[in-house]
Amino acid sequence: MNATLSPSTQRALAGLNYLYLLAMLFVIAAILSAAMFMQYAKGELPCPLCLLQRVALFGVCFGIMQNFRHGFSYQNTGYSLMFALLLLVVSVRQTLLDIAPRPGHEYIGSAVFGLHMPVWSVLIALALLTAYALKLAILGGDEYLEKADVKSFPLIDKLATILGLYVLVLCLINLVSVIVQCGFGECHTFGYVLLK
Amino acid sequence: MMAGIFMALFLALLLGWFGQRKYALACLVVCFVLAVYLFQWEIYSPETGFRMPWLKTWLPGPERLS
Repeated sequence: MNATLSPSTQRALAGLNYLYLLAMLFVIAAILSAAMFMQYAKGELPCPLCLLQRVALFGVCFGIMQNFRHGFSYQNTGYSLMFALLLLVVSVRQTLLDIAPRPGHEYIGSAVFGLHMPVWSVLIALALLTAYALKLAILGGDEYLEKADVKSFPLIDKLATILGLYVLVLCLINLVSVIVQCGFGECHTFGYVLLK
Repeated sequence: MMAGIFMALFLALLLGWFGQRKYALACLVVCFVLAVYLFQWEIYSPETGFRMPWLKTWLPGPERLS
């Protein structure tokens, strides 16, 4: 279909595709920052399943960052989708784990706008999968996306580099935080193992 | 285990950033496999396995329909 599009339209669609990916990266970085704010400012230690949900979000970031750093590829979209599915499975299971109040099982952490974090994770995973479905349906399936380098959109390239570095720093902080919280063994929400 | 997952994840992001795609993907696969393994380990219970007996479901009987 897009063989009939003019080069300027193809370029505009490629730019829109990168802008879409940039928005997704921004939202994920904001979500991870909010989770870390709740951990460090409010003292709400993440449970093991919560940490796995962070892993899944970083995994989605991997695919998006690869598209920005080394050219667009549907393989990268596949990596992001794999981790989005992991996020959905983990968050749904955690939501079902705590959905019926019983001794020793209740939602960890405070509610945000009335919803607890695992429930938010389900919504985030669904939003990510929906966003990818819409992107593929509207902007995907065309060779021009693979030919158009993000370097031809300097502002998007610069913002993507800054955001990518920010995600890398977030991941490093999480790595150190996990080592301090869990050591090299099992994770608990009682406190930071290495600070006891 | 969790530290290993985050280490593999950070290496994947870092190596991917610097263009070492092959090694980055290897780290990503290690991270994914370990994450799935840990997830299953976390949700497994010796008493109930992977089932969730606290979720009560039933077929609606005639008495409930009336």
